[in-house]
Amino acid sequence: MSEASTSYKKQDGKLLVSRDGRTVSWKPNAPSTSPLTIAVSEITNLQQTPEKSAKVSIKIVVQRPSASGAENHTFAFTSATAARAEQVAITSLLRKSIEAARAQNGSTPVPAADDGGGPSAAMAIAQAVSAGARAEDNMFDDGRLMSNTDLQKSLLNANPALRQRFDQALREKPDTITISQFSAQFWAARVHLLRAHAVEKSQSQGTYNVLSEVKPKNVDGTTRLNLSKEQIQLIFNQHPLVKKVYNENVPQLSEMEFWSRFFVSRLFKKLKGEKITETDSTDPKLDRYLNFEEEAERTRQLVMAHVPHFIDLEGNEQNHSQRQGNRPDWTMQPNTNERVPILRVLNSMSEKMLADVTPTDADPHAPSGIDEETYKELQLRDLQRGASDNRIMLKIKDQGQFFSGEQDARGSSSASLYAKRTPDQVLSTIQKDFKTISTNDKHAGGLNLESTIGVQEDSDSEEDERSKTKTRVGSKFTRTAATAQIMGAIRQRHLHTDDYLSSSSISSADQAAKLGLGPTVFESLVMTHNTTVEFLHYFWTVFLSGDPDRAGEAQKLVETLDKSLDRISAVAKTAENERMQKIEKSKKQVDDYMQRTGKRRKFDPNSIKGGARAVTDMMTPLVLAIKTATEKYRRAYELQMAQIAQLQNMV
Amino acid sequence: MNAIDATDRHIKSTDGPPPSLLAIILDTNPHAWAHLSSILPLSKAVASLLVFINAHLASGNANEVAVIASHSQRTHWLYPTPTLPTPHSTSTSNGHDANGTVPENANKYRPFAVIETAILSNLTTLLNSTTASSLSATSTTQISGALSTALSYISKSHIRHSPVDPTINDHSTITTPDTDGILGQQRVSLTSRILILSVSGDLANQYIPVMNAIFAAQRQRIPIDILKLAGDTVLLQQACDATGGIYMAPESPQGLLQYLMMGFLPDATARRALVLPSAGSVDFRAACFCHRKVVDIGYVCSVCLSIFCIPSLPDSKCLTCDSHLSLSTTLTVTPALIPRKKKKRKRGPGESATPAGSSTPAPGSGTPTHS
Ligand SMILES: [Zn+2]
Ligand SMILES: [Zn+2]
Repeated sequence: MSEASTSYKKQDGKLLVSRDGRTVSWKPNAPSTSPLTIAVSEITNLQQTPEKSAKVSIKIVVQRPSASGAENHTFAFTSATAARAEQVAITSLLRKSIEAARAQNGSTPVPAADDGGGPSAAMAIAQAVSAGARAEDNMFDDGRLMSNTDLQKSLLNANPALRQRFDQALREKPDTITISQFSAQFWAARVHLLRAHAVEKSQSQGTYNVLSEVKPKNVDGTTRLNLSKEQIQLIFNQHPLVKKVYNENVPQLSEMEFWSRFFVSRLFKKLKGEKITETDSTDPKLDRYLNFEEEAERTRQLVMAHVPHFIDLEGNEQNHSQRQGNRPDWTMQPNTNERVPILRVLNSMSEKMLADVTPTDADPHAPSGIDEETYKELQLRDLQRGASDNRIMLKIKDQGQFFSGEQDARGSSSASLYAKRTPDQVLSTIQKDFKTISTNDKHAGGLNLESTIGVQEDSDSEEDERSKTKTRVGSKFTRTAATAQIMGAIRQRHLHTDDYLSSSSISSADQAAKLGLGPTVFESLVMTHNTTVEFLHYFWTVFLSGDPDRAGEAQKLVETLDKSLDRISAVAKTAENERMQKIEKSKKQVDDYMQRTGKRRKFDPNSIKGGARAVTDMMTPLVLAIKTATEKYRRAYELQMAQIAQLQNMV
Repeated sequence: MNAIDATDRHIKSTDGPPPSLLAIILDTNPHAWAHLSSILPLSKAVASLLVFINAHLASGNANEVAVIASHSQRTHWLYPTPTLPTPHSTSTSNGHDANGTVPENANKYRPFAVIETAILSNLTTLLNSTTASSLSATSTTQISGALSTALSYISKSHIRHSPVDPTINDHSTITTPDTDGILGQQRVSLTSRILILSVSGDLANQYIPVMNAIFAAQRQRIPIDILKLAGDTVLLQQACDATGGIYMAPESPQGLLQYLMMGFLPDATARRALVLPSAGSVDFRAACFCHRKVVDIGYVCSVCLSIFCIPSLPDSKCLTCDSHLSLSTTLTVTPALIPRKKKKRKRGPGESATPAGSSTPAPGSGTPTHS
């Protein structure tokens, strides 16, 4: 229980939040005034005075179900020493309770406060509850993403496939459905894409390794150097040593001269991590700093990081025995690693660049150093006593139990089949049959598999004449049937295998060719499929919304779906024409051949794939989906018409 | 068969395909076999299976087989015969208890005869111990138990075959110089698969254990092949699809041997190079847990993934795990398709809220699936 001394309507008293977080109550110190109790679930808004103001108070806005208007209650915190702290404690507790209450109520909308205009009360709570640290999360809230048209445009521009789909569906949408209705629907199904895009856009590029970017160019025999102000700034930032060198030398050298000398110096090579060779030109001024770097950098890095000593691995780094191949480091001195400077430079570069980036996962205003929570994280929990188990135990019930009543009646499809035999008959049938292979075990050296499986190569041909033996186990007829079934299955799989394995790598043209369709026909088929699926989504959302205001939309969508069927058959027709042309062409070839050589070539029109059949085969599931949707719509529509007619008759 | 000779062992080099373990689950549901007896008697099916097993063993020296009977109320090992923990265990050098004498037959490769004898005698024991009363209790088979048994046996075999350290999870091949006289094959990982010869339907009430087994197999990359002779297909077809196995429902069960040899003989290594027979479209629809109806639109418990066909559950609690499960009201509203007349406002307040964004279902959730 949390309580604080407050004054309410100029009376001193105590403000309490109950332990279960369901009620807030105020009890007056003087018994003359009446106490006040507020149910947390009825709180629609919570406001507090700004942090810096001298007066510390909170305002609770309550909407009681019985009352029409909202009530405001203001509590001023009166403690002379800890008013602010008490207020913070109470407010955070209240926020938690409000959140809990809201979570329990699910999505039940909070009735809007009747103060007219302004953002709705539910909005206000959301803001009050998640003010501060979580403000950023709100950016990715469904509602915000849905209303952010700039973001949607930017996503459409970034994703051509989506743009195509959007445009196509927009073109074919029924006229009565407005663009805003349509786009709301379109994005509702793609909030995740919007969210991903928003996150992607909010990422910004960090600094880069500037020295490797600056490259002197050789133009007309003279070396030119393009160096921007920002780049110089960055060099100074990333390499404080250069700043030092610059400060100590520039008045004597001109700016131009300094940089041109720097970029050919040994110092530059060293900072970049390149090996310095004997042939590199020397520079009496800059070479003085060659040995400076290491020490200065090291101290800077050590100062930079707030690493508590007990987790400071850097301290152990140099004596890390495994790196020396199990040999302890007997020098106990930092090692300069002269042989591979590039690795060292790259690593320290990366460290520096990361250090410059403001961390996004931490509060930028939090005190530096280690906070309580991080410290707790670092504790060696393995060494502690086992924590109490906070898992939620699931009580799984035997599923057989809750349909056992119906099991025999209808649950079992095979029970009726098996009912023809009593268990005794079943057992004797099985045992008798099994004896035929298990008893001849003892003599003749075990089971004669060859005769038992029934494969008799010699007698099969004549055997097939007698239809009765066709179904004998192992007969040639059944084996051929089995082969045919397996080969059919393999062929079917083969047709689908490629897109199965690498749907992205296979081009649609290849796929079209496999099916015997032209690329344009295939393309328009894909388009039709996409938009139809889009409208199906839309239809089901409207249909299941139960909102009579959207009845018109549903009706139009059904018409659109009917049109989709027409579109599919139109594509099928085009495909069939295409196929006919191919057949004609092949026929002509055969005729030409006949005229030239006098020989007749066999031609089977069925060998030309594609056509209407290929289209229908592919579109069957979609057509089924459309039919289900329209069917469902018509049935529900008729039912409701009938109900209305009935109502009118009664009147 | 004549080509199989012990001398082959020496030619075998380490870079050959890894040995393959085939775990066969034979559904021995007596009801179903009695029903099938006029088309394909159990005896013939077992004989075909024996030929298939021999073919599997013949296609690799180090290949292994395990056969489990999924009976009406329990699972039963057919091969290898479990060695009872008795002190005078008469196990052979292979570690397999031959369980009685193997009949001498000069025309039969002895390892084949050993397996044949074990399977036949164990199956006889199983059938003789089945009582009529146990049959009347159920009409289906203990497929989940058999799957678990097969998976644990495979897991054990993997450890047996793994290179020296059995705690290493990764069963990848570790090449060790073959100087110490140990056969290279023993250090090569095992590829395993499960074949279920299924004749029973009504498996929906074992949905959770079977699904768990499927996921375990998926993790271990063990394909589950299904040869479905009878019964409804719902659950097992998904097992196949999830684990990349082969599903086959024979149109002419009398050709069983042909199906086995053509469809199911290639092991995981060989399958990589083959186009496998597919079942065509898989029926992904699930059966509801409350009535075992196959559903188009189901409601799923977010905690235990139980599926229900109705959104209104008693006390808003999941039937399986008792978690609070209140289904979104958007899914249960009746569609309103007659436009409301503007003047009459019969509806109560509260529906004036803007529709956009507030109650958008997840993509696709409203669209029923079709097989
Ligand atoms: Zn149900
Ligand atoms: Zn549940």
